[in-house]
Amino acid sequence: MGLGDERAMPMARVRALLAKELLDLSRNRLALLPVGLITILSLVLPFGIAVAIPMLTGQELGSDADLVKVSGVAVGHESLTPSARVQLFLFQQFLLLFLLTPITGAMALAAHAVIGEKQARTLEPLLATPVSTGELLVAKMLGALLPTLVISLAGLGLYLGGIVATAAPGVAAAMLSLRTAMLAIWVGPAAALVSLQSAIIISSRVNDLIIIPLAAVLVAQFTGALWLSSTMLALLGLGLVGVWVLLVLLSVAIFDRDSILTRWR
Amino acid sequence: MISAQHLTRRFAARAVVADVSFDVSKSEIVALLGPNGAGKTTTMRMLGGLIAPTSGSVVIDGVPLTPATAGTLRARIGFLTESPGLWDRLTVRENLRTYAALYGLSQPDRAIERVIDVLQLSPQASVRAAELSKGMRQKVALARALLHEPPVMLLDEPTSGLDPEITRGVRRLLEERRAAGCAILVSTHNLDEAERLADRVAVLHERLLAIDRPAALRRRLATGRLIVRVTGDPARSLETLRRFDPAATIEGPALVLKVVDAEERTPAIVAALVAAGAGVVEVRPEMPALEDAYLHLMSRQAG
Repeated sequence: MGLGDERAMPMARVRALLAKELLDLSRNRLALLPVGLITILSLVLPFGIAVAIPMLTGQELGSDADLVKVSGVAVGHESLTPSARVQLFLFQQFLLLFLLTPITGAMALAAHAVIGEKQARTLEPLLATPVSTGELLVAKMLGALLPTLVISLAGLGLYLGGIVATAAPGVAAAMLSLRTAMLAIWVGPAAALVSLQSAIIISSRVNDLIIIPLAAVLVAQFTGALWLSSTMLALLGLGLVGVWVLLVLLSVAIFDRDSILTRWR
Repeated sequence: MISAQHLTRRFAARAVVADVSFDVSKSEIVALLGPNGAGKTTTMRMLGGLIAPTSGSVVIDGVPLTPATAGTLRARIGFLTESPGLWDRLTVRENLRTYAALYGLSQPDRAIERVIDVLQLSPQASVRAAELSKGMRQKVALARALLHEPPVMLLDEPTSGLDPEITRGVRRLLEERRAAGCAILVSTHNLDEAERLADRVAVLHERLLAIDRPAALRRRLATGRLIVRVTGDPARSLETLRRFDPAATIEGPALVLKVVDAEERTPAIVAALVAAGAGVVEVRPEMPALEDAYLHLMSRQAG
């Protein structure tokens, strides 16, 4: 049986494993439930608080003096009405949830990446093929990242669409800024890369999962990212990608086939 | 094709495999026999480049197995793991397609159809692995190990839990692979299978206790007793046989005598019986079963 071109194989093997990961996931949609739930929550909460409650109670957001004061300091935009400023403040705050969706979702999937294969006893035949550790881990990483990014970006699209449709005049224009784009499509995915690579490292080193403390650290760190300038966000994203590259190298270096096969039960 | 030299694997202070050396040639099947925990799977994993030996070396198809060559060599090995290890939510064909891509096959669909055909898996090809019986899962795992037509096969308990019909099919398949020039190492508990299938049997219990042809292993325990069956009353032939062994006796329907060089003496014994008018049905040296030889080796090891 002819073997293919050796040089083309690494990408072919990553593609093959990624296709398997996505096919497997498509038949195990419950695995996407956490990402789906966080996305739904990220949509329901902000619109409930910033749009529905004021509408139902008849009490404008601008009537709360403390909120107006805080929002003035936080978001600027003095040309907006007090209510619109508070709404903008709330929508910006809740944008954080969309940063967390790919982080938590990808981590939940990636955490099972190696442990899941080991527990299903599918890891040994896989390691008996020519697949390298790097190829295996990259495929696992992409298999976790791509579905969660698609879901969270779709959720973000709905979020921004909802703001355009329901927010007070001027709020949508203020939200659709470079900073929002930077957070959503640069810092968020970069943070997801870092978090899921960390989860893969943990997944290939332990028998069971300890992702909650790690997630908490990342959540705490990214809360502060909301108030950084666009330039700082660009640099933050770049830094995260750098950390991710280091984590990829670390995960390949510490992936111990021997220990995984002989000591895990 | 497969050469293991002084293979040792320790886990902490405990040696699971100690100083094991053997070869498996082209067109040869060697059965690795041993009780649970004897080090069979560890040996297989070391030969397959999945785990590293603490000391010793492995050469596959003329290439020393090292971290640098392990990936390339794994492409030349068909490894059947102890557990089938199929992705449950994928169909049989999807499982095989993924592995065909991992092995970088230039004509994956042709290879998949070939193994599906050889292992008669066509009715199950579109069935998800989770829905397969244990025997079928094992067949798919075997198909996966054959997919890239490897010159070397390492098979850990290939017929474990299979029904006799599937077992026979697997045995036939391995004989075909041997005829095609494959070097095959089969780990098994099944002594009957080892005897039927293997050219040589390696008995492992941490150390390699013996490696030889099954008949040669059995001969090690040979008693030197000859079993003779004649037509009619065996008592009439007893006097004739006592010329060869004064202690010859009747055991059930057979006559039993003990002689030195049983094979060389057999023609003379048959001639004497015929001359005395006996109808000779059978004269054969009493040979222990492979199981007896195996248990003998194990008891010696325990002692």
